[in-house]
Amino acid sequence: MELMIFAGAALVKIAMVMIVVLLTVAFLTLAERKVLSWMQDRMGPMEVGPYGILQPIADGLKLFFKEDIIPSGANWLLFSLAPILSVVPALIGFAVIPYGPNQEMEIFGVTIKPFVITDINIGILYILAFASIGAYGIILGGWASNNKYSLLGGLRAAAQVISYELNIGLAIIGVIILSGSLSMVKIAEGQAGGFWHWYLFGGLQIVGFVVYVISAVAETNRLPFDLAEAESELVAGWMTEYSGMRFAFFFMAEYANMILVSCIAAVLFLGGYQSPFPHYIIEYLGFPGMKWVEAVVWFTVKVYFFLFLFFWIRATLPRLRYDQLMRFGWKVLLPLALANVLITSIVVYFVRQP
Amino acid sequence: MSMTETMKLSDWIKRFTFYEILVGMKATMTVFVQRIVLRSRKAVTFQYPHEKRDLPGTYRGMIALLRYNDMTEKCVGCDLCEAACPSRVITVISDEVPGEPMKRFAKEYYMDMARCIFCGLCVKACPVDALAMTTEYEWSVYNKRDLRLNKDQLLALGDRNFPTREEKIEHQHHNVTFFNIGHQNLPPMDS
Repeated sequence: MELMIFAGAALVKIAMVMIVVLLTVAFLTLAERKVLSWMQDRMGPMEVGPYGILQPIADGLKLFFKEDIIPSGANWLLFSLAPILSVVPALIGFAVIPYGPNQEMEIFGVTIKPFVITDINIGILYILAFASIGAYGIILGGWASNNKYSLLGGLRAAAQVISYELNIGLAIIGVIILSGSLSMVKIAEGQAGGFWHWYLFGGLQIVGFVVYVISAVAETNRLPFDLAEAESELVAGWMTEYSGMRFAFFFMAEYANMILVSCIAAVLFLGGYQSPFPHYIIEYLGFPGMKWVEAVVWFTVKVYFFLFLFFWIRATLPRLRYDQLMRFGWKVLLPLALANVLITSIVVYFVRQP
Repeated sequence: MSMTETMKLSDWIKRFTFYEILVGMKATMTVFVQRIVLRSRKAVTFQYPHEKRDLPGTYRGMIALLRYNDMTEKCVGCDLCEAACPSRVITVISDEVPGEPMKRFAKEYYMDMARCIFCGLCVKACPVDALAMTTEYEWSVYNKRDLRLNKDQLLALGDRNFPTREEKIEHQHHNVTFFNIGHQNLPPMDS
């Protein structure tokens, strides 16, 4: 019975998170087009609904009803598997993201944590592991399409994702040294008590933060690092032969990955759900029981700040050349991240000397 | 900047702080704030089917045949437009006006607008100002044969776009009515 209640609560949490993430993905497709057009003196989608707000629904319906095309000469199994391999790792990472305070709640005698699906003690490692599986979706999709552009895009994406994953892994080591834990919940908890306790400012992880944000943009294959789909060079890269729902899966995976890396950046460097003040504002107002509402709002604000940054960078910068991308990743970001790890560990060793 | 040049300290600082990128991001953010917060900037694009650009009066759109104010056709079937047309859009089959052997008119008049380059040479060539360019441009059709307009369609275009018509001058010498010009330095008609 206890197990059933526990499983039921977990399923409810998973359903909630999935609904919110997928709605955000749908909203982001519109928000990106709108923000880009506002920055470029255009208007963006204006036809479907007032100011085009129903555009994601129209896009989704169109993709859903499109003919399912598998090109002749494509590897049917891998061609079908690739979108799933791409979208599942993107969505599965949300399981360990704490989006509210680490408080416990009792339902029928079973203690559950309502604001994180599961608090595993290697949370960040788990996300990194699944993020690298996402690269398989891209390279398999590129190879299975039996198309030169797809293969080139897939190879580029694989090389890029692998190079920049390394930088992500090294950039967050500083935070892990400071928090002393791999659990996302513990990392977020360790930054309580105002913005000067966040690892970005309090832990002086500015270099790690910058390296992480740049590598996150590169790892999600977004401009200015979108060499993998480079529409002016490679048609659509590894997605060239995809249409209909398979394409929609790749599209969802891209946006879900954006949200995921934004969530990780918010939790690791900006304190996750923590308020930038010593206490939550709602506690000053006299409703300490409602502080989880404000915590979720702070988390949302931080995540949307990063998502806006993605659009902002996309509206500003042109695409890098392939050799520039690799040189920047290996010769600039990697030494910076390594130096950050070294200096952080030395400083932490001497500061925490008993 | 190549790596072999000696870099100044300020260049190094600019490189490490992504100065140039930040300048670019400031530019895009300025436009964004002007559009969304200050509302001092408008989109340069038009929501085309709903709002249309103001066309200049000299816009070269679809070509129309005109009438005089007594609703008679201006065209005298002289074929000069057909001769002037660089892309052989126009086909004129002219004929005598029944009962008046000195006067001619266009029995059939075709314009294959699918081939028209809208150069306006036919309008320039017409001695009686029977042709004019309208500001109509939304003429998408499913069948390109539908763009081969006959005389009635061209006259309808003229009626639709030019409601005020030129007055027909009647006191012309009957010997020169082939072109409806040249009435200025001629003796008055003998009655």
